[in-house]
Order: sequence, then structure tokens, then C-alpha cells
Amino acid sequence: MTDTRQEALIRDAIAAEADQAVDYRAVLANLHGRQPRRRPFALFAAAGLTVAAAVVAVVVPLAVDRSAAPSAVDPAAPPGTTTARTVLLIGLDGSTNTDSVVLARVGVDGAVSAASLPRDALVDIPGVGQGKLNSAYARAYAAAEAEGRDGDAAGVESLAQTVEALTGVRVDHYAAVDMAAFSTLSEAVGGVEVCLKSASRDEFSGVDLPSGRQSLSGPQALAFLRQRHGLANGELDRVVRQQTFLRALAAKVAGSEPAKLAELARLAGRHLRADPALNLVEFVGRLTPTVRTAIIPLGEVVDSENGQALSVDPVAVRAFMAGFFADGATGVPTGGFSVPLPATETEKPGRTPRHDDCVR
Amino acid sequence: MPADYDQFVTDRLDRLLRYATALTCDKHLAQDIVQDVLLRARQKWARIGAVDVPYLYVKRMVTNDYLSWRRRRAARDVSSTHLALDDLAPAVADPAVRHAERDAMRARIAVLPRKQRAALVLRYYEDSTDAEIAGILGCTEGTVRSHISRALHTLRVNENTPSEVLR
Repeated sequence: MTDTRQEALIRDAIAAEADQAVDYRAVLANLHGRQPRRRPFALFAAAGLTVAAAVVAVVVPLAVDRSAAPSAVDPAAPPGTTTARTVLLIGLDGSTNTDSVVLARVGVDGAVSAASLPRDALVDIPGVGQGKLNSAYARAYAAAEAEGRDGDAAGVESLAQTVEALTGVRVDHYAAVDMAAFSTLSEAVGGVEVCLKSASRDEFSGVDLPSGRQSLSGPQALAFLRQRHGLANGELDRVVRQQTFLRALAAKVAGSEPAKLAELARLAGRHLRADPALNLVEFVGRLTPTVRTAIIPLGEVVDSENGQALSVDPVAVRAFMAGFFADGATGVPTGGFSVPLPATETEKPGRTPRHDDCVR
Repeated sequence: MPADYDQFVTDRLDRLLRYATALTCDKHLAQDIVQDVLLRARQKWARIGAVDVPYLYVKRMVTNDYLSWRRRRAARDVSSTHLALDDLAPAVADPAVRHAERDAMRARIAVLPRKQRAALVLRYYEDSTDAEIAGILGCTEGTVRSHISRALHTLRVNENTPSEVLR
């Protein structure tokens, strides 16, 4: 193609414009210095569920990876401080639905307590009013994006405020995990053992599994974690599935060789977002394998504007959280919601799943 | 972080910044967009790194980011900012007539509708084919040709306008 004189001029002009570009070396330094962005974005559901497992399965290997190059120092939390920290674990479904929300506390002694907050819980969303827990993020996201602000940051902020108002616990950090991490990680560890009480098949999640003990990996692991339709207790059975799966995954990860851990770390790192202030190295340095999991107290199923929801009594939730997160608290938490399955108990990663771990 | 992501950034960052600057006519906006896109790309590198030409994929992310409605407000300011900056610069940076013409053309390109400018930059800076441009802009080749012919028409009509009017 032969350029006309005008085209040649256009080429020159565009090239001259391009020459105005900032020096790439400065941008390169910027990119290297930055954490993978404040936004927790495409993080998904299952992740959150027990920090216990999430921490062991995701954060620990990530930290192993990062330990060679410590992340930026947070002035508010210099390395070495040993105060208890709370972390809000957020799981998004790929758009803006927070399918799982977990509030975890890592005590001074490294013990982890993790409380699941069911997404259908009917709560007070600051500045909005009553709504399902999973609407807080989505609503703030949409509002912010419409104004040209960062929707993910607004979503996290709104969800954190909602959780703080509900539990009376201050949220120090957040972290979110991409659901896809569990497909990848389950494959990387050669499958995760679970046991189903009955065969499971559901087109929403794509799950198609026989009953009994089996090893899950890849897309079926993901489907297993996401299935909600067709389960007797719906969302709550899913929470139990996620907790069981994550414990089993944690057990496998905990028994891995260092080289394997490094590989898992790389895989996990792609799916985890945390706020820049969360110093993973320091955080993980004092973890112990002890993890307690629970579900906040729940009331009746009620009808809300957005379908059925679970009522919660803020007073009961606060009382429960105060006890559950108290320094030195051990053993089975009392007052939390219990699904008639091993949802709430003291666990140690590495323990062999028992037969009664079979889930719906 | 996969090593090939770092390699990609090292190899392509300069070119991406230049492309984005030509696209936006605003080097700071270009930097913001490229940084944002590369940070996002890092999260998805397992997938992006596996495509045939990661650079094309990332270039599309940069283009879409600029064309997305989120950037619209910023984009509106661009042309005026650009012209304002031009005002501050020496009227004719180089005494050569050729350069004066070129700078006048820069100013005219800067006020084109964004999609037309994107098509123009892809063809005349990135030397993309119509099919590639269509893939990046997410439209048909016919639309690409239409964007470009309209842009060329506008630039031709304006060609006779004394550059003083634009400045």
C-alpha cells in the first residue's frame, strides 16, 4: 500500500504523539513495586470458607513463595508485631456476588478462628438498610462504577462495614480467593478426598458425582464447591461442603514436599488478592495448625424483597463473636449455628477424613 | 509470578506505552491504563500467556480499557488537555514546515472520536490489518473501514483550516 501524502503525515503525527509516552523504566519500577492491585476482584465463593483451610491451602504456600521477597512494609503493621488480626475473606462468583464471606481471626498465638457468614443472612447494610449480606458488595460496586469510581474498592468497603456492624468486630484486612484456585489446586495436589452421602447431579453447578468416598479435582471439584441447588439445606450444605473440602485440601497441602509447596504457591498466588496492608509473611509466620470453624447464629427463614433470606439476631451474633474470637478461646464454640454435620469442631490439618465427614 | 510475564513486560512495556499514548493523546492517562491492564493481565497470565500472541491480547485490553465507559470522563478532557499543552509549547517546535504540519495534524487527530482514532492508530502506527483491527475493536471489518474513511475525511476537510484556528 502506497501512502498518500496525507497518510504519511498521519503516520508522522501519530508517531510523534507516541513519542510523548512516559519513560517505560519508571513504569516498570512502578509495576514491580506494586501489589497486585487493591481490588479483590474476581475472587470467588468457595474460597473463603474456613480460613483454616484457606490459610493453610492458600495463604501459607503463598507466603512461602513470598518469603524470599517480603512484600511492601505496612507502616501500620511493621513486621514483628504480634497483635491479633482479623481478616475478611471474600469470595465472589465471577461478577459481584459475594457467595461466601468469612471473618477470621489470627490470635497472638497463631491460632485461627473462622466464622462463616451465610450470604443469605438478612443484615443491616450501613447506608442502605436491610438486605441480604451478598447484596452489600454488589450494590456498592454498581453505585461506584456508575460514578466512575473503583467498584471493587467500594464493594469491599461496604461489605466490611456491614460485617463490622453485624459482628461488632473490626475488620483489619481482607483477602479474597478466586474459586478457580480450587480447581487448579485440587489438580495440583492430585485430587482432594471427599465423601458424598448420595449421588449429586445439578445442572446449575455442573456437578455430577456418585455417592461415597472419592477424589475430586479440576472442574468437578469446583462444581462440588459451588452446588447449592438440590441440596437439602441449600446454601448451608454448601458451606459444610466447602469447609470439608478445604480441610481435606489443607491436609494434602500440609503433607507436601517443599518443592511441591513452591509450585502450589505459584498456583495459589494467581488467585488470591489481599489488601496491601496484609503482611502475609508476618501473618503466616505465627500461624499454628489449630483452626476453629463456625457459622454465626442464624434465625428463621424469612421472605425478603430478594427471595428467602435467613434472619439474624445482631445481639446474638455479637455475643457469639465476642466469645468465639476471645483470646485463649479453644474447643468447640458455643452458640453458633450448627448444621447437623461436622461444621463446627476443632480441627488439625493432616487428620484423615473420617467416615462421618460424608456430606450431602 | 510466572517468569514469562516479567519477560513480556520487559519486552513490551515501551511499545504498549507508546501505543496507548498515541491512542489517548495523553501520556498520563496512557500510563494509568497500561499499568492497570498489566496488573490485571498478571492475574490472568496463566490464560493470556497461553494464547498465540499475548501482545495482541494485551493490546486489546488496553484499547478496550480506553474505549470503555469508565474512561469516558477522562477521555473527554483529553483533547482539550492536549490542545492546552500544545498552547504552552512553542507554537512551532521546529522551524521546518513539515514539523508544523505534523503538529497541526497531531492536534486534529487528538479531537477525533475515540473509535476512529483507535482505528487510525492501529492502522498507521501498529500497521494492523483491517481484520486485526476488527478483532481488537470488536467490530466488523466494514466498520473498521468506515471508521478510517470518516477519520480521513475529517482530517482532509480540516486540512485547509489554518492551524492557527486550532491552536
